[in-house]
Amino acid sequence: MGTGCFKKFRRTVCYTPGIVSMEESLDPRVNRLPGTGEWKQEYEKHSLDQFPTFEVFVQAKEDKPFQHEGIVHAPDSNFAFLFAKEQYSRRYSCSGMWVVNTQNVLVSDYTENSQNIYDTLDLDPEKGPLMPYEVFHLMRRGKQHKHVGRVEASGKNHALMEAKVKFDSDKPVMNTWVVKSSDIFQTQNEHKTIWDTLPLKQFREATDYRGGEKIREFKAKQKE
Amino acid sequence: MYGGGNIFEPLDKSNIKDEDPVKLAEFEARIERGEKIEPTDWMPQLYRKQLIRMIEQHAHSEIIGALPEGTWITRAPGFKRKLALMAKVQDEVGHAQLLYSAAETLGKSREQMINDLINGKSKYSNIFNYPAYTWADCSFISWLVDAGAIVNQVANSKGSYGPYCRALERICIEESFHLKYGHHCVIHLATGTPTQQKMMQEAINRWWPPMMHFFGPPDKISVHTEVLMKWKVKMATNDECRQQFLDMYVPKIWELGLTVPDPIINKNQETGKWDFSEPDWEEFKRVINGDGPCNKERLAVRRMAEERGKWVRDALRNSEEQYVTPLA
Repeated sequence: MGTGCFKKFRRTVCYTPGIVSMEESLDPRVNRLPGTGEWKQEYEKHSLDQFPTFEVFVQAKEDKPFQHEGIVHAPDSNFAFLFAKEQYSRRYSCSGMWVVNTQNVLVSDYTENSQNIYDTLDLDPEKGPLMPYEVFHLMRRGKQHKHVGRVEASGKNHALMEAKVKFDSDKPVMNTWVVKSSDIFQTQNEHKTIWDTLPLKQFREATDYRGGEKIREFKAKQKE
Repeated sequence: MYGGGNIFEPLDKSNIKDEDPVKLAEFEARIERGEKIEPTDWMPQLYRKQLIRMIEQHAHSEIIGALPEGTWITRAPGFKRKLALMAKVQDEVGHAQLLYSAAETLGKSREQMINDLINGKSKYSNIFNYPAYTWADCSFISWLVDAGAIVNQVANSKGSYGPYCRALERICIEESFHLKYGHHCVIHLATGTPTQQKMMQEAINRWWPPMMHFFGPPDKISVHTEVLMKWKVKMATNDECRQQFLDMYVPKIWELGLTVPDPIINKNQETGKWDFSEPDWEEFKRVINGDGPCNKERLAVRRMAEERGKWVRDALRNSEEQYVTPLA
């Protein structure tokens, strides 16, 4: 069982489970490329060769808050958006996207046992002109950060203290992120047609592959 | 797609003794309550190390696993199959991105993970060291290798590490298309002409031994995994996953008039478990340690991609940047 010979271009590859050998690739493109031999030196990528990370927030529908979905590696926020659009909106509905360099996110401590993070915060607010900051809350472990709104502040500590006043509620907040609004790359509502391609690609949906009918026909034919 | 949670090397449990007993007890109580562990939480070194290894291997498996199928895109029969296979391969590469990100939250940089893959220091799912000779091989991968991966991934998505679980939930949703698409390809061949049927049967015969390897060695010869099960790093044993796979898919193979190349395969009515012949575990060891039909090619293709993209990355590089660990 399982023995077979395959004619491939000018030579024959024989295959038996347990005794297998391959002289060249089954992929003609690989055979055409130079340098498929063995490398003598260890491969070593330098630090940040893959670029820094950007945190990605997705708005699934127009009335939903922006929610943290993950990261992408990118050289700048334009590329980050390009990669994030491919990664996080390719297979899911999306009506808006924000990306921000991980370095620009201020992360509060995480609380334990239903303690509210705002009850533990007592920071010295920065002085200076007011700027908009976006505030994100994590309500439970295992869930994702969601955007709750915007505050005007002179710095990130000030923004956290403003958020404490503006967004505190009965439900304990486990962790807060604040980001200066101008540090976020935001897609514009007027460009929302960029999200419109999704429903046309039925070939990517499980529902497009119905085999039941073919199996029934096959079984009926076998019984004959 | 992945045969997740396999432990390829013995665990060094000696450093559990060195952990702070109070913190360890709190950590275990949290897992016991069903709460997730997040990147900033205290965790034992062994938990961190094992998760990095497991998630990293999973990510590598997605990248390397896309290679045998990727080869078939240009030769897939018909335009719709080409579109679908292209979308599937793109999904797999996207899964690798999600998984690398989850591993990075534990403190290993992406550069280091790619170095370890290319230099042969990290493992990936062994099944991708075998060649896909025909379109039927490609269809086998799309249906049954993905089916095996889903068994593992659904189990692992209920694990304890938050970022890994979130990545897996997303991955499992996308895999449902892969599974239906792959099944559709196999149905088409199995109910087609005698030549197509023969081609499909030969592919099953070729891929069955590596498919049985996919879930890892039997529990009785696997290295101990109790502590990993307790910490919900590993959610089901190799044998449990293999049994679930056989239970779900052998009947589906049979209903297409195809056979499985194992004379004793049968669901034992007394035990409710499947009897099957053990695959050659020496071959498994040999191939996973580098001596398989495609190991060299897989890594060579990956290394070539790295080297050919280097000038682009260098041109885009901003030397002012500093690395920070991603947040969640």
